[in-house]
Amino acid sequence: MEDIELKNLWKEYDRKFEEARILNMQSWMLNIRTYEDLQTQKAKSKLNSLGSFKKRVIIAGVLLIAFLLFLILNSLKLSNIFFVSSLSAIVVFNIIAIVVYIRQILLINDIDNSESLTEAQEKTAKLQASTLQITRILFLQTPFYSTFFWNPEMITSNPVKFFLITLPVSLLFLFLSIWLFRNINYKNMEKKWFRVLFGSSEWTSVVQAIKFMNEIEEFKKETL
Amino acid sequence: MSTQTDQESFLKLIEENKRIIFKICNAYCHNANDREDLAQEIIYQLWKSAVSFDQEHKFTTWMYRVALNTAISFYRKENKNKPFVSISNHHANIAATDDGLHDKAENINLLQQFINELKELDRALMILYLEEKSYSEIADILGITETNVATKISRIKEKLKHKFSTLNN
Repeated sequence: MEDIELKNLWKEYDRKFEEARILNMQSWMLNIRTYEDLQTQKAKSKLNSLGSFKKRVIIAGVLLIAFLLFLILNSLKLSNIFFVSSLSAIVVFNIIAIVVYIRQILLINDIDNSESLTEAQEKTAKLQASTLQITRILFLQTPFYSTFFWNPEMITSNPVKFFLITLPVSLLFLFLSIWLFRNINYKNMEKKWFRVLFGSSEWTSVVQAIKFMNEIEEFKKETL
Repeated sequence: MSTQTDQESFLKLIEENKRIIFKICNAYCHNANDREDLAQEIIYQLWKSAVSFDQEHKFTTWMYRVALNTAISFYRKENKNKPFVSISNHHANIAATDDGLHDKAENINLLQQFINELKELDRALMILYLEEKSYSEIADILGITETNVATKISRIKEKLKHKFSTLNN
């Protein structure tokens, strides 16, 4: 089949739309005649809902950080050193997550459909994929949830229990969190543990977004 | 897009290019209901982006960008796992009775099916190629170089021809 035949087939295909009278443009046009209608549709846009969701997450995150800072400031004593340092670490990781969330919102506002396909689609895919990056970062805070109740007296009064149970448990959390941070990436998406952790439909779309980012990169590459 | 005249001109341009919109919808949507939703979404996005349209640029280039971006995003969100249904399945009146015409109708459906099987960006590339856009315009719409456009088109065409010859022999 030659080029001309392909193009002629496409023209024929084009003509059939007209014949089949499936182009009911008039009714769609009526929908966009008033600005108010458009605003209603805009409010319903999924992308905007995503933005609103992230804004609510940021507000919740800021409130959590404020609460943790309040606890820290009211516990500044040497005997509370583990409590204060654990909470401080959790605050740091949550601040990082909020900064990434804010970047996502900026990215949502930055998506312009009149940009080139590779540019606009890359931004959209990056936005979806960034959720995985946040999760990696947040996993790093888990060991600190097992250390905030430590205190110097606990170590001196019962060192056996501390060194044989409490500390190994925290070290295990530390090892796991670092391992997850290093291994949660696209390369491992086919592994069983990854599918168990990120098997839900929401995560599937994130993983597919990463795949699509790679596809876009491939598409942009010049090949001979 | 504030005045009545602006609105009228916008609608006129959309009316003139409505078949482009529907062909894109058909390439990225598997069923009739979704196609109408996508068409509405594309028109809405065109309307919304109209303020960013630079009159010095070609209207169709801008329109293809908005329409294809909207279609790809829509497809990725909604239609990934649905089976492909040819347009003829919804509009049986398209099918021809004469043998020659029947072959042609069959080939149109095959072409449509092959295009719909391509990856999202390759699909956009082929639609633009079949719409007889220049390599420079295709490159501009897709955000890649003209050389890259030429290479990719040639590869996809080879695949299409191979598929046609396999099925027709």
